[in-house]
Amino acid sequence: MSSRDSILASIRRHTGVRHEMPELTLEAITYADKLATFSEVLAGAGGKAIELRPGEDVNEVIRREFPEAKRIASNLKEITCATFNPDELTDPRELNGTDVSVVEGSFGVVENAAVWLPRQVRYKGLYFISNALVILLDKTQLVHTMNEAYRRTASMDYDYGVFMSGPSKTADIEQALVFGAHGPIQVVVLLK
Amino acid sequence: MSTKHTIAAARFLKNKENEAWHDHTLWMVRTKRDKMSHSLPEWERLRELASEIKLYSNSHLDTLLEEFEKNAIANGAIVHWAKDAEEHNEIVLRILRQHEARNLIKSKSMLTEECHMNEFLMSKGIDVVESDLGERILQLMHLAPSHIVMPAIHIKREQISEMMEREMGTEKGNIDPTYLTHAARKNLREKFLHADVAMTGVNFAVASTGEIVVCTNEGNADMGTSFPKVHIATMGMEKIVPNLEALGVFTRLLARSGTGQPVTSYTSHYRRPPEGQEFHIIIVDNGRSDILAKPDHIRTLNCIRCGECMNTCPVYRRSGGYSYTYFIPGPIGINLGMLRNPEEYSDNVSACSLCLSCSNVCPVKIDLGEQIYRWRQDLDKIGKASKEKKVMSFGMKFLMERPGLFNTALKFAPVVNHLPRFMVYNGLNAWGKGRELPAFAKESFNDMWKKNKVR
Repeated sequence: MSSRDSILASIRRHTGVRHEMPELTLEAITYADKLATFSEVLAGAGGKAIELRPGEDVNEVIRREFPEAKRIASNLKEITCATFNPDELTDPRELNGTDVSVVEGSFGVVENAAVWLPRQVRYKGLYFISNALVILLDKTQLVHTMNEAYRRTASMDYDYGVFMSGPSKTADIEQALVFGAHGPIQVVVLLK
Repeated sequence: MSTKHTIAAARFLKNKENEAWHDHTLWMVRTKRDKMSHSLPEWERLRELASEIKLYSNSHLDTLLEEFEKNAIANGAIVHWAKDAEEHNEIVLRILRQHEARNLIKSKSMLTEECHMNEFLMSKGIDVVESDLGERILQLMHLAPSHIVMPAIHIKREQISEMMEREMGTEKGNIDPTYLTHAARKNLREKFLHADVAMTGVNFAVASTGEIVVCTNEGNADMGTSFPKVHIATMGMEKIVPNLEALGVFTRLLARSGTGQPVTSYTSHYRRPPEGQEFHIIIVDNGRSDILAKPDHIRTLNCIRCGECMNTCPVYRRSGGYSYTYFIPGPIGINLGMLRNPEEYSDNVSACSLCLSCSNVCPVKIDLGEQIYRWRQDLDKIGKASKEKKVMSFGMKFLMERPGLFNTALKFAPVVNHLPRFMVYNGLNAWGKGRELPAFAKESFNDMWKKNKVR
């Protein structure tokens, strides 16, 4: 018997009472001011939310936030401040040394300030390797909770996707919080 | 009444300053968890749902695993099944050899600890690199984790600084956590870029879609899988959740319970491998299917490894992870150790005050403390009951059944108040360790009652 079959046989032999799947009824929290709460929770997670003012250019904001940035990666047409298109690289390792990456988020989750990023770039490493990550997000695309979030992703097709809440962080040295363990040290969500 | 736990705990307690820090720091994490749970009116409902979903999924593992496998294969993943640790390690080695891999970058996985995988692979000449900062620190110090979520919680920054000076050439005496973390970031960046194969654990495996979900704060799992052509994900079979909607219940509970964050920085969903790359998923039993046959202990399979039962446990906080003889410490570890091998791991069941705080905070409602109580009732059957406690129970029974003797003993009890210290506070009296005994009253309640002194 293969290991697969013997494991399944062992499960069947040992399973006693078969419990029913509960009905996933839940009165989940809703937030009165989704945008304000999202920004507040993001700040708590070490990120920064910036709401674009009417008529303001995204590129100006990025330049203002990261005046020192030399290598800016983006495959988005509107990001004219990008210095290269990461999708044109043939090896994801060449992404190393990127100062800022600019990507587009699908929607945000208010309760934890996570942004859903289904892979829309050639190399998913782009989301993690640069020192700073800028996520463009339509501010009308905010859901209250993860329950609602998964109802949305259920109808999406993706090979890889990540809910990202703020920058990479660790507290492995004496519980002292440090940003930028391996991934971005800074995350800015630009709400359009 | 010494067990291996009490002996090791005494060692931990010798450093009063570290013990107080450990206790205080973990309690702070528990406090953060409380703040998070109080911010959601539906918190208790979420715990209830999580527990019920787990009871469903763990009693339908056969069908859910088959569904998961079918969908994962349709997504382009290669699915392996491992009966035990040995088979698991062999599968990993085979994949590494197929790709002539010399090094493996891995993210945190308690399952690979359970299988002693790193030691095995290194003995076969594979360079295994842990990429979670805490795990990397421990790997370079040749130490085991002392907590399942905060593995290096017992290590002080001075020790880390010393090790990093030796291993990575950091400045001598620089103990700043930001400096040290960013030095490790730079050092590990090279490892990420040049790894042959990446390995991750699995927090959740979704049956209806065949995808796996990995949760990290550092982003090390995602960095690890971004450059090599092969990704191996390994999962205990109880990681299965039926669908995305059910997953939403768990991703709301996991980080809030474990570290007091609304969510981990990264909740990463791996569905299909990038073109031209390989995605392997290993489903591991290693004793889990046997637990299904033990109704009293079946709920341990609910565990989502958040670590909250450790943070809240007064014994864990004041004795440290190394005091336990099983590789997973704290309330969940006591139970999992007993399920693994009761004869070998029975020393840990005494590491519990039965306060049941763990049962009250567990996000998937495992009856952790109650199960420990049940294990204690069975200790005598496996010949592991404490001899001192047995003698004492026998003595108490003898005395209680003889009222005359009992009353005489009581009359002479106050004599103890005047005995020299060495006769009262010694190795024979476990209640006199680390605390002062109350003085015996001059008169017993019985005598007072008879003299009508009790009103």
